[in-house]
Amino acid sequence: MQTAPLPSPAATAAPSPAATAAPVLSLNNVEVIYDHVSLAIKGVSIEVPQGGMVALLGANGAGKSTTLKSISGLLRAERGLVTRGEVHFMGHNIDALAPQRRVKLGIAQVLEGRRVFEHLTPDENLIAASAVRGSRQDMARNKDRVYAYFPRLHERRTAQSGYLSGGEQQMLAIGRALMTQPKLLMLDEPSLGLAPFLVAEIFDIVRRINKEEGLSVLLVEQNAIAALEVVSHGYLMERGRVVMHDSAEAMKQNPDIQEFYLGGAKGHEFRDVKHYRRRKRWLT
Amino acid sequence: MDLTLFGELAINGAMTGLMYSLVAMGIVLIYKSSAVPNLAQGAMTMLGGYVVLAIAGGFGAPLWVAIPLALATMFLVGVGIERVALRRLAGRPIIMILMMTLGLDIFVRATSMTIWGGTNRPMQLGISDTPLFLGPLLLNRTYVVGAVVAIALFVLFLLFFRTRMGIVLRAISDDYTASWSVGISVERGVALSWALSSVVATTAGVLWGSVQGVDQSLALLLLKGVAVAVLGGLDSIGGAILAGLLLGIFEGVASGYLDPLVGGGSRDLVIAMTLILTILIRPHGLFGRHDIERI
Ligand SMILES: Nc1ncnc2c1ncn2[C@@H]1O[C@H](COP(=O)(O)OP(=O)(O)OP(=O)(O)O)[C@@H](O)[C@H]1O
Ligand SMILES: [Mg+2]
Repeated sequence: MQTAPLPSPAATAAPSPAATAAPVLSLNNVEVIYDHVSLAIKGVSIEVPQGGMVALLGANGAGKSTTLKSISGLLRAERGLVTRGEVHFMGHNIDALAPQRRVKLGIAQVLEGRRVFEHLTPDENLIAASAVRGSRQDMARNKDRVYAYFPRLHERRTAQSGYLSGGEQQMLAIGRALMTQPKLLMLDEPSLGLAPFLVAEIFDIVRRINKEEGLSVLLVEQNAIAALEVVSHGYLMERGRVVMHDSAEAMKQNPDIQEFYLGGAKGHEFRDVKHYRRRKRWLT
Repeated sequence: MDLTLFGELAINGAMTGLMYSLVAMGIVLIYKSSAVPNLAQGAMTMLGGYVVLAIAGGFGAPLWVAIPLALATMFLVGVGIERVALRRLAGRPIIMILMMTLGLDIFVRATSMTIWGGTNRPMQLGISDTPLFLGPLLLNRTYVVGAVVAIALFVLFLLFFRTRMGIVLRAISDDYTASWSVGISVERGVALSWALSSVVATTAGVLWGSVQGVDQSLALLLLKGVAVAVLGGLDSIGGAILAGLLLGIFEGVASGYLDPLVGGGSRDLVIAMTLILTILIRPHGLFGRHDIERI
């Protein structure tokens, strides 16, 4: 069920003041193939409005991460290729650009599983991430900004990052992305393996950044309950396709969503999802 | 026990060990910045020596001109290795990259054999042959120079890895994908680490060349370099220095006493035992990082 295009009504959970008509990001019928043979996503079209917050929901293997990587350019490292469609960022077609060029343009992806630089301190993690933002003053200013959003990181700035708690690592991963001064922040399952109060805390901070700096956010989640609380609208993916696109309010009311992603389900599909989630939690 | 003999064996062993550290530091440098264990470090050391001689011989340049030119040339060689051999392998399994460095080792040795043949060529640095006296102990001057250079490089790299560029290189060795995700040019980082390592290799090639001449046997320094690097911890520059000292002293003293009894050859035995025992007992070496496992 595809519903009317954006902008969404002001009644949604998290109206973003800066949202305007021209999307900061738009994917048009994107298809990705891994290893020349394995078709991961097909015909995916999504938009993130300027200054908006959008969720991309779906179960394991739906193609959420692949979609993000087609935007950040990290596909190539995994032998994946955009074989059809286009990715536009602020009006430019970015398909041919290397990952670091895209970061420079203002796209930052926080990877699934956090992936902090474990043997570096949080402070060094932030410094390493400032590689694309030239001057020392920029770096110092960005660091202050990140520490202001995440005071916990400042307390732990000289620890070894590999030994931070899961929540702290997620904050570091987000802070590291902020060091690149993005215009679009993409988060890949930031709630994974975190206690609910931490998820709420982190989402709150992301929303604050979105409000205060007008940073557009694309939030990938399996945790639909938490995600739909902070975004204005969402997309649902299944087996490589976008199967639903609606305002957050409408999605929360949708029986299909409720059944599979908000926890009211029976039947084997939901069991699969739950089982997989548990496994993932152990792995992190 | 003859204390003077012991002291002499120990202190000359220490100097030799620091010259091993030169080779080990090149290995550590690459590992610390791109997580690749470089099996071509010995061959690069040898190549560095040959390049110095080729520039000196070919253009009739004095060594003090030829050496800086060779350092610059080898810097470019390092950059070239990343571009030609490694870029396509970024993100592939480490075993393939390891095999690639082995391929490089064979390639460099075979090529230099074809070009320069098997004869030993002297490298005259103009360091006097007469030993240096430290009380009753005799020291080889070239080794003293080598030890000083090793320690100077150690200090330099210690500082370098705290700079922004050095931190970026350490980040790359931690996680290629995460590095790409924050805009780090991983390819350039890896190229820089190979370039710097090639420069270190050339330094080692010059010093070892002046001790034993330049020929294919310089490539065998890989074994000492690997043993020292592993003992020190593959990603620890300080470890490479300390392990070089320890291994050098141990090797010098042990072989000094053992060789007369068994008729020579115990040096390599010491090296082999060190490598094997380190990997069995303390795989991350004296100062290497543990792989972090959180539950
Ligand atoms: N590097 C890869 N090589 C080959 N196939 C891949 C690769 N990465 C993902 N795929 C496949 O692409 C499809 C989509 O995977 P993707 O990781 O994008 O899903 P996801 O929605 O992010 O799932 P999850 O919630 O488990 O992270 C899956 O079928 C997966 O097996
Ligand atoms: Mg994923």
